[in-house]
This record gives sequence, structure tokens and C-alpha cells, in this order.
Amino acid sequence: MSDATKTTNLTVAQQLREVRWYQQPRWRRLGALLSLGLLMSMVTGVQGTHNDIFYAVRENFSDGSVAVWLGLALLVWAVREFASAPFTSSARKVKGTLVTPLGAVGRLWSTERWVRWGVIAAFAAILVWGPMGLSRFWQTVLVDQIAIYLLVAVGLNVVIGWAGMLDLGFIAFFAIGAYSAAFWTGALPVQPPVVLNNFLVIPLAVITCLIAGVLLGAPTLRLRGDYLAIVTLGFHEIVYLAAKNLGDVTGGTSGVKVDRWHIDLGFWTYEWNVIDQMPFYWLLLAFIAIVVFLFIRLEHSKVGRAWTAIREDEVAAASTGVDTVRYKLMAFAIGASTSGIAGVAYASKVGYINSENFVILLSILVLSYVIFGGMGSIPGVLFGAAFLVWLPEFLRDFVDPKDRHMYLGALLVVMMIYRPQGVIPSRRRQRELEMAEAGTGGADATGPASGRQS
Amino acid sequence: MTTDVRTDGGSAGTTATDNGDLVLDAAGVTLRFGGVTSLNNVELRMHRGEVLAVIGPNGAGKTSLFNSLTGAYTPQEGRITYRPSQGGEHELLGRKPHLVSRLGVSRTFQNIRLFGALTALENVKIAAETRLKAGPVSIMLGLPNARKAERDSDRKAHEVLSFVGLVDKLNELAGSLSYGDQRRLEIARALATDPQVLLLDEPAAGTNPTEKLELEQLIRRINRDLGVSVLLIEHDMRLVMSVADRVMVLNFGKKIAEGTPSEVQQNPAVIEAYLGAVAEEDTAAVAETIAAHEAAETDADTDDTDDTDDSAGGSDGPGKERE
Repeated sequence: MSDATKTTNLTVAQQLREVRWYQQPRWRRLGALLSLGLLMSMVTGVQGTHNDIFYAVRENFSDGSVAVWLGLALLVWAVREFASAPFTSSARKVKGTLVTPLGAVGRLWSTERWVRWGVIAAFAAILVWGPMGLSRFWQTVLVDQIAIYLLVAVGLNVVIGWAGMLDLGFIAFFAIGAYSAAFWTGALPVQPPVVLNNFLVIPLAVITCLIAGVLLGAPTLRLRGDYLAIVTLGFHEIVYLAAKNLGDVTGGTSGVKVDRWHIDLGFWTYEWNVIDQMPFYWLLLAFIAIVVFLFIRLEHSKVGRAWTAIREDEVAAASTGVDTVRYKLMAFAIGASTSGIAGVAYASKVGYINSENFVILLSILVLSYVIFGGMGSIPGVLFGAAFLVWLPEFLRDFVDPKDRHMYLGALLVVMMIYRPQGVIPSRRRQRELEMAEAGTGGADATGPASGRQS
Repeated sequence: MTTDVRTDGGSAGTTATDNGDLVLDAAGVTLRFGGVTSLNNVELRMHRGEVLAVIGPNGAGKTSLFNSLTGAYTPQEGRITYRPSQGGEHELLGRKPHLVSRLGVSRTFQNIRLFGALTALENVKIAAETRLKAGPVSIMLGLPNARKAERDSDRKAHEVLSFVGLVDKLNELAGSLSYGDQRRLEIARALATDPQVLLLDEPAAGTNPTEKLELEQLIRRINRDLGVSVLLIEHDMRLVMSVADRVMVLNFGKKIAEGTPSEVQQNPAVIEAYLGAVAEEDTAAVAETIAAHEAAETDADTDDTDDTDDSAGGSDGPGKERE
């Protein structure tokens, strides 16, 4: 009898405390992954017809692709949930074999000046001359897309990764930069007071984007999280629709032809031409290098710390003397001007812009580059942008080109389930995420920053 | 920490009786949230260099008073005058929190609000460099003034951290420090802004007896060595009685008593506020009971179960958040 009471008592206590097997988060993750598999088999399979609304479902769920997708989902889940131990141990073993030479290099790196410069020079040399070996197609992708979006993503990282403000309309500034380039080089139907060289347009585009960033930021900075995101989305739509519908000013959907990069000093002229992609690449590489160099300085300075403080706890930051409005505006302006430079670079490279170059999808994609790579981390964002721009181009040969972004989306979903901090997360951001998981702080740039620990 | 503060407040504790020299002078402060009057015509006169404690039962409006003084809330009526030692008068009511902080009124929070993902050093540096002039452009270009600002804030932060005794933990994450260290780090962060008035909101909540003792000494040193006037909210009566020069008692948003610790302890209105009935006889015994009761209560609630009005957050506007 007493035993029986004991067990009952135990079960009551257990009922309150115990997590049932089906309540474990891993099953929820499995559910999410399987749903993703089903979704992928639908969206990458045949299309429906309006004669027979279940045609697509029947077709896609009866052939082998659904099994492949579900199997893939199961595999990802099983490997990640149960087999991660052997993976990490083998990774550790690899690290162990590498650690001696790497450690030696690391020591030399910190002590010997020539090693440091040697490594940097070797890395730079690969970056500078490496792409010469690529095919023309990949060179074009590298310049037209990867390099340009790297620049945009680095700019967005300032706004979302460092200052913690969700901006869904970042391509609006890219558009403003591109149209500034078109305007000042005399390409638009409206003529500028003086026609300038593309290089001279850059400061003007930066100033224009700064002003646009402040104009957008000043009235909206009181908003937080989702509200700010909606306003930026609206801002993007305004810029896009203006570019599309003000045909007399912007050229609208039919677009305008923009002069490519050129230098004309009178006695010496040089023109970047479409025959060879490499000069364009080197130019953009220089832009990216300068921007990244400047931003790294910013991250570990007073400004970067103030942004982190605002992101974590705005009230505490203000009480500590941080002018929150000023720093948020600063983030908006710096991010916007970077995007503006990218816009000028894009217009001056491709030589043609129309309103359809600046659709909302691009804003969302750039955001996903930043999140995928790791918000707030410059190496992460560089990698994220490079990889996610490369991936759809790479998939072009293997899957239906129309479905390419579906694979991107699936990758992002898996990523968010298993590595929400991004591929190469910033240390600060990762700590914030860990604290949020432990329930002691807010890491979400979108939610109200709580930032309390107790 | 700066010499001007030290020379001015050098005679700190002793000038407390000088009635003419008010560093904070608030009168008629009334704060309402809808139909709830959180502060009702509160008056606060704080002398330069003194330690003034604000006590009162839960929900008495102590934290509301702090939030009003530091710009987090804007009371509907009243005025709050701040007179820094270098002369001049500033109205704090309705001023933005960061401007209040820059004038020299700094605060800590009841529920610790550090930047948990930053190191102790970085937390303090954020406060130390708010007044340094270095814009983003000079930082990006690495101009000499930006480098000097960085060095200055580094030195200042080291100074403050060694003052509170955290110098050996400066590279640890603020979020991973022990509770007592987090409290001290918050004080260090507030001190790094070179305040003339420091507002401490329950600094002893959740600390153990040893830490309490250290805190007591720290408050004394802040007051005596740095010449900072300290306004203290505290439930731990032993701490209040030992460090405070004067005590002010709030209940239901009203000031019900003010005076030296021993005067306040024997004030019938105070005893009534705490015990809910007039206890006329043997007030000394009752006061002791209060102290014991308070100590127990503070030990029990380490979190923000205290003031119902503790929505410390919410600068104005739609971004208002609940704590």
C-alpha cells in the first residue's frame, strides 16, 4: 500500500517535471525537416493545372522524388541528432593532426612580422590573381553578383548585425546609389547640372544615400523590431515603384544605359570594357577591401560597442550616456552609404539599369546572406554572401533554373534549425544567443530587447 | 575620479549638514500612469556629498522616483533641479536619459542590466567614452584623436574597475560574473561616467553577507574618496542605517518622513507604514523587528518582485517595454 502511494506520488511529481519522449525538441525538428521534405518535393516537382487541382499532388507524391526528399530530411536529422559525436570527434582528430603546424604558424604569426605579412600577401595574391583561372561565366558571376552583393551585405550587416535593427528594404539604397550614378553620368532622361565621371559619382551617391538613410531613420527609429521592418519594407516599395513608374525621370522598366567605369585625364584614358572581367573584379575587390578594413576598425571601437549596448539593452545604454538615436541613425547612414557605393558599382559595371534590378526579392536575399553567414561577423557575412550567391548559379546546371531559390530556402530552413547563429558567427552574437537560450537575455534583433540577466 | 570632483567633494561627508548646498532639489514631483498616481507631490532635497537613503514598502514609488530623476519617466508636474559643483543649474525633468547621465547623474538598476555579451572592461568603456569626442569617420580612418579617445577610455575603465575591485576580471563576460560582481560592475559602469550624483537601486538585493559588507565599504569609499553624492534605495535596513547620512521614507507615492536614520526609525508614521498599525509603545523593539523583517525579505526576493512600478524601461514612445 505504502509502495503504491509512493509510486503515485512519484508519478505526480514526474508528470510535472518529466519531458515526454514526444515533447523532446528533436522530434519537433524531425517534424519540421519532414515537412520541409514534402514541401520541396511539391515545389520542385511538376506544376498543377486548373483542370485537375490534385494533379500536382498526385504526380509529385507518387514518383520517387518524394521518397528521396524525405530520405534526405531523415538523413540530415539522423546525422545531426545521433551521429554528430563521431563527426565532432573525427573533426577533432583532424584538428589534432593539424594543430601542431597550425599552432606553429599561429605563434609565428603573433611574433614574426614577416610571417604575418607573408600570409596576408599570399592570401591577397590568391584573391587578386586566382579568379583569372576561372571560366568567363564564373568570372561574370563573380563580378556582377558576388562582389556587388558582398558589398551590400557588408552594409546591411552594420544595420542588422551590429545595431540590431531589422531592415527589409535595404536594396532601396542600392537603387538610390545606382540611379545616382545614372543621373550624374547623364544617362537618365533628366540631365544633371554637370556630367561627372563614375568615380566622382561615388561621394555624391554616398551623400545621397546618407540623406536617404537619415530621412528614413529619423521618423522611424522610435519603432522597434517588426514595426521598423514594415516601415523599411514600405520604403523599399516606394523607391521601387518610383523607379518603375516615373519613366520620364528614371527610364522606368525599359531602363537606361549607363557609362561604364572609365578614367579620362586628358593625356591618359582608360576604359573598363566588357571583354575582360578582371579589371572590373580588381576594382570591386579594392572597394570591398577598403570598406571591410574601415568597418573592422569601427566594430572594435566606441561606435561598435555603443551599437552592441543598444542592441542588448537600450534603456541601460541610454542611462549609461549613449545617445541611442544618434547611434542608430549612424548605423542607418553608414549601411545605406555602403549600399549606395554598391549601387554605383553595379550600374557602372553592367552599364544598364532598369527598375526590375531592384525588386523586393533582392532585399530579402541580402538579408538571408547576412543571417546565413552570421549576423555581426564580417568574415561570416562575406562567406554567406559569396556562398549563397554562388549556390543558385551552381545549381543552374543541375536543377530546373526556376526552382533554384527553393533550394536556397531549404538550406536556410535547415540552417536555422541547427545553426541559427550562422556559419561563422560573431562572438558577441553567439554569446547573446546562448544567453537567450538560457533565458537570460534577448538576442533577437527583431524582438524587444530585454537584455536582462538575473 | 577626476580631480575636480575630488577637490569639490573632498570634505564630502562632513558638509552634509550644510543646508544651502543642494545638489538635487526636487519639488512637487507628481507622476501618474493613467489613474494610478505613482508619485504624489514628492519633495527631495539632497545635499552635496551626503548619502541619502530612500526607503519604503513595496510599491511605494521608490523606483519611480529614480526613473523620474534620470529621465526614464517624465512626471506630469514638478521640477527637479540639479546643481553640479562647477556651478549652474539644470532642470532634469523631461530631459533624455543620456543627457541626464552626461550632466553627472548616473544610476544602477534594481534588476541588473549589464550588457551580458560584452566583457566587464567593454561594459565600463561604453560608459567612459560617452563624453569623448571621436566620430565614426575619424575612427574608421584611425585618426590620432580617435586613438587617443580609445586610450583614454581604456585607462579610465581600468581605473574604475580597480576602484571597485574587479580589475582581475576585466576580460570576463559580464553575463558570466557572479551576482555580487555583476552588482559591482554595474556600479563601476555608473562611476565611469564621472557622476556627481550616483543613484543606487537596491544594490544589496540578492547579495550574500560578505558581499553586503564589501558593498557597504564601496559605497563609503565612493562617497568619501570620490566625493560623489549617493542616493540609495535599499531594503536592507542594517546597510541603510550604517551608510546613510539621512533617510527619506516613501509610502504610496508620498514622502512620509525624513531625517537621520535613528529619527526615522522612531517615527510613528514610518512604523505604521511598515507594520500597518500605529504602534506607540516600545518603538525601539519594533524598529528592530522591521530591520529583521527587511533583511529576511531582501534575502528572499533576489529578483524584481519588489516594486510593482518597476517598469524601469520604456523611454517614451511606442517602444515602451515591460521589465
